[in-house]
Amino acid sequence: MVEKKKTLTMMLFTGPYGSQYADHMCRIADRALDKGYGVQIFLYGDGVHSQLKGQNPKAFFNVGEALTKLAEKGAVIKSCVRCSQARGYVEGEFDEKESRYPSSKAINVVKIYSLYGYVEMLGNTDKAITLGSSN
Amino acid sequence: MTKILVLITHPPFGHENTFAGLYVASTALSKGLEVTVAMTGDGVYAGRKGQVDPLANINMPSTEDQVRDIIDLGGRAIVDQGALLERGIMQEELIEGLEIQPLGKIHDVMLDEGGIIVTF
Repeated sequence: MVEKKKTLTMMLFTGPYGSQYADHMCRIADRALDKGYGVQIFLYGDGVHSQLKGQNPKAFFNVGEALTKLAEKGAVIKSCVRCSQARGYVEGEFDEKESRYPSSKAINVVKIYSLYGYVEMLGNTDKAITLGSSN
Repeated sequence: MTKILVLITHPPFGHENTFAGLYVASTALSKGLEVTVAMTGDGVYAGRKGQVDPLANINMPSTEDQVRDIIDLGGRAIVDQGALLERGIMQEELIEGLEIQPLGKIHDVMLDEGGIIVTF
């Protein structure tokens, strides 16, 4: 009998630097992908700053690059449009063809989407973790 | 049906957490998920009624309106009895429709009723 692939959903609710939550999230996601999990990530609140293009930390883990690598390994990554709009990422109306809100400031692997994107992830997951909501 | 429990541990203002958690709860309800909101610690302040137009006064949305919407949409909303007592909040100060339970009962809901737990 073929075992159903398990899915892990993670929400990041704090920025990419200033704490290690984003780092932890990316490392958990990487391990989960290696173990055969489907991985879904939703960036919420200040967590949407992890989608910023051109991150260049001198000493810290590069969260933008890590998200790109996770997406290349199969992770699905979305961010909240309301949070992204508040922080200056959104540059137009929803693009039906691309199924995302447009942004030249966000890395391409992150789809800016409504909060329904997160609810859909929760409706299709075995495990859920929220990171960064305790600060 | 997918069940989620949104655990609120922050006060309604000063941080975005409570607004964000309640927003997840109402969005999930509108998509047909079964939702419980549990408020503990300083999160119980979100259960108080009588907020005076916070959007106009401090540019933050009314979490009272959000809690009322969640109850109206059929969500279950529980406040931690012990956390209320510690903060001197009386039952008559709470939003109508909230359920008061001891923390142990909230833990039972988290552990025994299944579903996904998200914390704010």
